[in-house]
Amino acid sequence: MTANEEKMTQPEPVLVSPKVPLQEGIVPSGALVAATLAPVLGFFTLMLSHHISRLSKSLDQLVHAYGHWIPGSLGSGPDGSIGSYTGKETLALAVWFISWAVFHGLWRKQELSILTWIPWFLGALLLVTLGFLHPLVDPIVLFLGSRLGLI
Amino acid sequence: MTEESFFYGHISKYLARTQAGLALTLLIALSGLDFFFPTNYSLQAGVHGISAIAAVVFSTLLTHRIYPLIRGIHINFDSLRHWVMIATVLNFLGAVSGNWIYSRYRGQDGPRDWILANVPNFHNILMEYKEFVSLFPFPLMLATSFILFYYRTVIPERRDLTLFVGIMIFLAWFFLAMGFVAGLVLAKLRFV
Repeated sequence: MTANEEKMTQPEPVLVSPKVPLQEGIVPSGALVAATLAPVLGFFTLMLSHHISRLSKSLDQLVHAYGHWIPGSLGSGPDGSIGSYTGKETLALAVWFISWAVFHGLWRKQELSILTWIPWFLGALLLVTLGFLHPLVDPIVLFLGSRLGLI
Repeated sequence: MTEESFFYGHISKYLARTQAGLALTLLIALSGLDFFFPTNYSLQAGVHGISAIAAVVFSTLLTHRIYPLIRGIHINFDSLRHWVMIATVLNFLGAVSGNWIYSRYRGQDGPRDWILANVPNFHNILMEYKEFVSLFPFPLMLATSFILFYYRTVIPERRDLTLFVGIMIFLAWFFLAMGFVAGLVLAKLRFV
């Protein structure tokens, strides 16, 4: 067998397998990836809405409006209010739960590689964590905000 | 077993339990005494402090269970499921009570005003960081609870699943501990 033929007969490495028929005792790992990707998307929503709300008063009010349903979101005086933080939480919760439901529906019958997912998951968490460090991220936010004409 | 070794074995067991009980009591007192602080917001402070400390204690205990889990040593998954569920509830309470006290933090002449006037970076960097990463442990713990229930029939045989559960518990503890320390520092600077 030539080297080329040998190469052709070897199966391509696949990270995502096609849908597998449900067998007794088999629980595909797609549901795990869905359940853990969704909160990461929620965290990114939290970060984006936070930085958007800091660009201008009108954008802060826009984000805040999503959180008016949360008790304490509005108020003044010594008791204060939670402010636009409630809007950021609401948007993050919505993205978390909706994306969880969608990805669970899409992937629950698929066997996905958890060992491949782990570095992506950790990398995304590291990125979003750094995204909340103002000295680090503010120059980027200001640059993007001015380029997009938001400030 | 001789009578002597039985005696010393019992003594060490009771000492260990006493230490755990004393540590828990002292930790709870660290925030529980907030209820008696001279402020109109002592209830919010006490509830948030106790739920945060309880969440830290449970998450720390959970991290001690992930090492045998990752090494593949047989563990009691029913017990782990229950502990993770309790940690999930405590993290939820910590986030909700955090919202409750946050409005006073931002209120007129509240801690934010004082910190911005005196040491602004503690608000602009530390608090702006803490208020968001403190929200991370609840979703991470809820996802871990889901994994432990959804895969309960196969998880004892799947090392990749137990590794992921271990990573999730570790991450939840890390974000919780960061939020806890930042919260303590801010409360030391200016109480509500």
